[in-house]
Amino acid sequence: MPRIQIGSWASGLVDWLRDNVAWLFDFITYVLNGFYNAVHVVLAAPAPLVLAGILAILAWWLRGLPAALLTFLGFALIDSIEQWNETVSSLSLVLVACIITVAVAIPLGILAARSRAVGGVLRPVLDLMQTMPAMVYLIPGILFFGLGVVPGIVATIVFSMPPAVRMTELGIRQVDEELVEAAEAFGTPPRRTLFRVQLPLALPTIMAGINQVIMLALSMVVIAGMVGGGGLGGSVYNSLSSVDVKLGAEAGLSVVILAVYLDRMTGALNQRVSPLGRRALAKAQAALGGMKFLYWKPATSLATVGVVVLALVAGGMSVFGKDSAGKGAAASDGGGRSISLGYVNWDEGRATTFLWKEILEQRGFKPKVQALDAGPLFAGQARGDIDVQSNAWLPTTHAEYWKKYQDKLEDLGTWYDKTSLEIAVPSYMKDIKTLDDLKGKGGELGGRITGIEPGAGEMKILKDKVLKAYGLEDEYKVQESSTSSMLTELDRAIHDKKPIAVTLWSPHWAYNKYDLTKLKDPKGAFGSGDSLHMLGRKGFSKDEPQVAGWMKNFHLDEEQLTSLENEVTKAGVGHEQDGVRAWLKKNPGLVDKLAPSANADYAKGKDAGKAPNIGYPAWDEGIATTYLWKNVLEKRGYKPNIRNLDVGPMWTGLSTGQIDVETDGWLPVAQKQYWDKYQNDLVDVGAWYDKTSLEIAVPSYVKGVKTLDDLREHKDEFKGKIIGIEPGTGQMKRLKEVVAPEYGLTDFEVTEAGTSAMLAELERAYAKKEPVAVVLWSPHWAYSKYDLTKLADPKGTWGANNQIKTIANKSFPEKFPEFNGWLKNWKMSPEELGSLEQAIQDAGKGHEDQGVEKWIDAHPGIVDKMAPVK
Amino acid sequence: MSRLQAEHLYKVFGRRPEDAVRKLEAGASRDELRSEGTTAAVIDASIEVDEGQIFVVMGLSGSGKSTLLRTLNGLLEPTAGTVRFDGQDLTSLSDKELRKVRSQKISMVFQHFALFPHRSVLENAGYGLEVQGVPRAERERRATEALELTGLKGWEKSWPDELSGGMQQRVGLARALATDADLLLMDESFSALDPLIRRDMQDQLLELQKTLKKTIVFITHDLNEAMRLGDRIAVMRDGRIVQIGSAEDILVTPANDYVASFTQDVDRTRVLTAGAIMADTDTVFGTTTAQGKKIGTAEEFLAAAPATARVDTPIAELFTPCSTSTVPVAVTDERGEVLGAVPAGRLLAVLGEPKKQEPPAPAAQAPENGHRTADRDPEGKVIAGA
Repeated sequence: MPRIQIGSWASGLVDWLRDNVAWLFDFITYVLNGFYNAVHVVLAAPAPLVLAGILAILAWWLRGLPAALLTFLGFALIDSIEQWNETVSSLSLVLVACIITVAVAIPLGILAARSRAVGGVLRPVLDLMQTMPAMVYLIPGILFFGLGVVPGIVATIVFSMPPAVRMTELGIRQVDEELVEAAEAFGTPPRRTLFRVQLPLALPTIMAGINQVIMLALSMVVIAGMVGGGGLGGSVYNSLSSVDVKLGAEAGLSVVILAVYLDRMTGALNQRVSPLGRRALAKAQAALGGMKFLYWKPATSLATVGVVVLALVAGGMSVFGKDSAGKGAAASDGGGRSISLGYVNWDEGRATTFLWKEILEQRGFKPKVQALDAGPLFAGQARGDIDVQSNAWLPTTHAEYWKKYQDKLEDLGTWYDKTSLEIAVPSYMKDIKTLDDLKGKGGELGGRITGIEPGAGEMKILKDKVLKAYGLEDEYKVQESSTSSMLTELDRAIHDKKPIAVTLWSPHWAYNKYDLTKLKDPKGAFGSGDSLHMLGRKGFSKDEPQVAGWMKNFHLDEEQLTSLENEVTKAGVGHEQDGVRAWLKKNPGLVDKLAPSANADYAKGKDAGKAPNIGYPAWDEGIATTYLWKNVLEKRGYKPNIRNLDVGPMWTGLSTGQIDVETDGWLPVAQKQYWDKYQNDLVDVGAWYDKTSLEIAVPSYVKGVKTLDDLREHKDEFKGKIIGIEPGTGQMKRLKEVVAPEYGLTDFEVTEAGTSAMLAELERAYAKKEPVAVVLWSPHWAYSKYDLTKLADPKGTWGANNQIKTIANKSFPEKFPEFNGWLKNWKMSPEELGSLEQAIQDAGKGHEDQGVEKWIDAHPGIVDKMAPVK
Repeated sequence: MSRLQAEHLYKVFGRRPEDAVRKLEAGASRDELRSEGTTAAVIDASIEVDEGQIFVVMGLSGSGKSTLLRTLNGLLEPTAGTVRFDGQDLTSLSDKELRKVRSQKISMVFQHFALFPHRSVLENAGYGLEVQGVPRAERERRATEALELTGLKGWEKSWPDELSGGMQQRVGLARALATDADLLLMDESFSALDPLIRRDMQDQLLELQKTLKKTIVFITHDLNEAMRLGDRIAVMRDGRIVQIGSAEDILVTPANDYVASFTQDVDRTRVLTAGAIMADTDTVFGTTTAQGKKIGTAEEFLAAAPATARVDTPIAELFTPCSTSTVPVAVTDERGEVLGAVPAGRLLAVLGEPKKQEPPAPAAQAPENGHRTADRDPEGKVIAGA
């Protein structure tokens, strides 16, 4: 029989897809992630009991009072057993998957019902989707979409789609043909027949299909925990891999509560949504005798009001909550950048991962941790989804993975090297101490050694070397299973005091939990033990040189590791970090040793805690310098408030003291009129930049226009127009009163639109290579973005160049003497300003802070230069 | 000019129906086609229905009558032949145009009512208007009127499943009437009802028809119903129309054994009328009464006759008078003019076996006589098909 290479083809296809349509997968990942995050943000925002209340109102609306009470109790229970966040994640995942599934499946079902051909093609595809083991989707899922919720969502969609399509098709086909004929006989167009007759009547069946979708999605969500989908699946997976019955029970119970809730609610939804359901409901209610209140359901409007009220309460709470909690985070090395840490759920992996999580948090990073199986972990890291993992067992145990992915990973070095691989038996098997002792015990042990994952390096060594070295290969079979099954089996055997031999390794918690004998390996067949390595994804040490440096120097001794593991285990699942903190308390100074901060905490300023109000116009140099000062002030312990204002209101605000200071005063020309008006209430703190100029600029592709005189001569080319900015600004006034008359430009039309309109017009004209003349000034980013000519002003009509000054309310020097001193001495070079503006542009709107952080990182010592403290 | 005309309609299901039609035209039988996997449901059917007429198509199940009905409003596209309504050829219309005709000119009443269970009685009755795009207020007013017409005032807010079968079909009828369509297609509309209710409904339909004067095609498998309702009746068998004629024609001169056996169980005394069986007055003149009086003129006949009857009097009412006298019962028009005579012997003869393929009885030929509608088509007795 020739070997048909279906597997290789499939793998080849997956490789091809990965190489050639990566953009599509990236797009899908982006969309699904965005969708998931949006849903999750909404669901996670309210306090647990408020969301429980909202869900209870829904239950009341759908099923009546008892259901509402049970719902509230159920979700309160979930909160109490600390599975709330996981439940919300899972609920979000289910919702997202179901919404997409339903949106795709119902139109498909309708098509299938109307066209025999479509139905015929769909049926085998649906069969395939439904019967293919769900785990199989996850393998390419990880390769295409990376770790996290997206492969989970995709697998869920694929898996739960078939019933929705089928039930929709069935529902529509089931509608009495005479009714469809009646509709046709009255001249109903097919589309209308579908929406007004077939779909309403098919709705109960379709709803049953949706119910199925939700149930399947929920079961899939648990499986998705294995690929980092998180949520309850993560908890379940976690409990499996650490044989944690307690966590398993709690996570399982949460799944059940969620499942029952979703099942009953979608079941009842039919009664609210479909006309027939409403009829049946009304009938049933009419037939009830006493105890009616139990079945009384609030009207839709009433329920909506309830939900909205609770949602508002939730919104209010989270707003206030944020106010009290937020803003305090001190910026430091991390600058809020996120680093994802992955680990296989073994003790040393978990302990060190959470240790690093704590360290990184203290250093201002936003680390995320994720427990995964070894396979997905390595695959995910090779894709770049995971930045670092701390428990790679090399060179033996994880050799397969390392071989496969090593060119996509970087080794950050060994942090622990006292490991060993071994076979272990319970201590009550008194006469077995070494591997030699196993000989002849095959009968007692059932000829079996309980192993772990078939891909693990230890299994290979055991089969290829150890058994042969001790002559055990005929007597024993190595049972392939998984780490968690092996541990479960061990637990069972020890409970029953039955003989068992398992493959194990040190360090392992099993040695603490059970009384086990490591079988001696006098022939050294297992080889020397593995070392534990820190692995980074490719490019990690370039992106995060500081963290990579810390990790390269990271080392724990046996005593440290064991005590850390103990603390983490003691703290329990979900509280690992508390364990780490407790351990760190006993090891003072360790954090600084493990992660010496490059720029240790900034010293507080004298006026730390004060909150100056800084105003700025939405001009680039204003935004840049204001965010820069905000950042510097925060480092010095100030609590600055910054406000974006139009020029006019800002000067008014400065004069009344609502705004303490601004850094973007163009004087003596551009903002002369404001200064003249308010100067009695203001102080000029000083100029920080003096290389400014005002001008009219044209694109360089407009040939022969170099001066303002040239502009007059080329009037027709420019359609007699100069694109101006806000009317009333000094520059516009100057243009009209002095510049234009001097150069004979008075018959030009100067549009008064505003800075952003001017820039938009410039962008548009530039793209079409049309001639355009705009009112501009330097410094301005437009000069770096476009190739522009500043029109020369031989007559000097624009006047002396402006300086950019810091202007403050006259009370400012008194209120903020330290800050005032800093500002007085502050200067910026064109290079500094340019690169700062660029950094902020790169970070994008809404991320100005990150842009500033980056720039400060690139200018070491700048904070001390700008804001010196003793 | 008749309102609805169907000419040489064929409807064949299966592959290559046009070929099948050609074979049928060449004389192939239905069974031959069946062995090739095609089913000829309607074969060469031609009908004409006049304004205000109730045209009944009667046949057993499988005879193709429902298929014929659906080709009339285009629910099924005829394989061959044409359907004209008000001079418009429906078979040549596009789907969209056809839908427009259906929504405005043709209504249908179904065997199992086909009421929409998710709509109230009022919404059901207004369905056709909704499709036409009539604004809500007017729609509800007209639907309410139609419900009133069918005797369902006060039930507007009920739901179909709260009504009895008879009432449900009244809703179905109201739905059909509400659109003011001129042509009403009724597909075994009363067959699913209890006999008593069915009779009520028939009476009501006749009552409504007196004022509304719709053109109605009514499908039934029940001969009594056909006789009660039909101005003209077409009998179908195996896809072909076997006979078209008035109730009396079918009873008195069945086109073949099939029709005859069909009519066996009909209560002839209630279907046949004096006008349908009367003999010429000449047969009376020259006879003498039991008292020895000679009858020579119409006046003498009237004086001697035991009773007088109108042309539309069922013959059931003639038995008693006939049994009391040897003189036949006189048949007169509204003005009292003598039109004919019904002798006892003739009365008994029509109750016996129908005549087969004999020349029609003279009375059956009497034109313009003896029927509810005056404009009976002289061609109506054309025996089609067989």
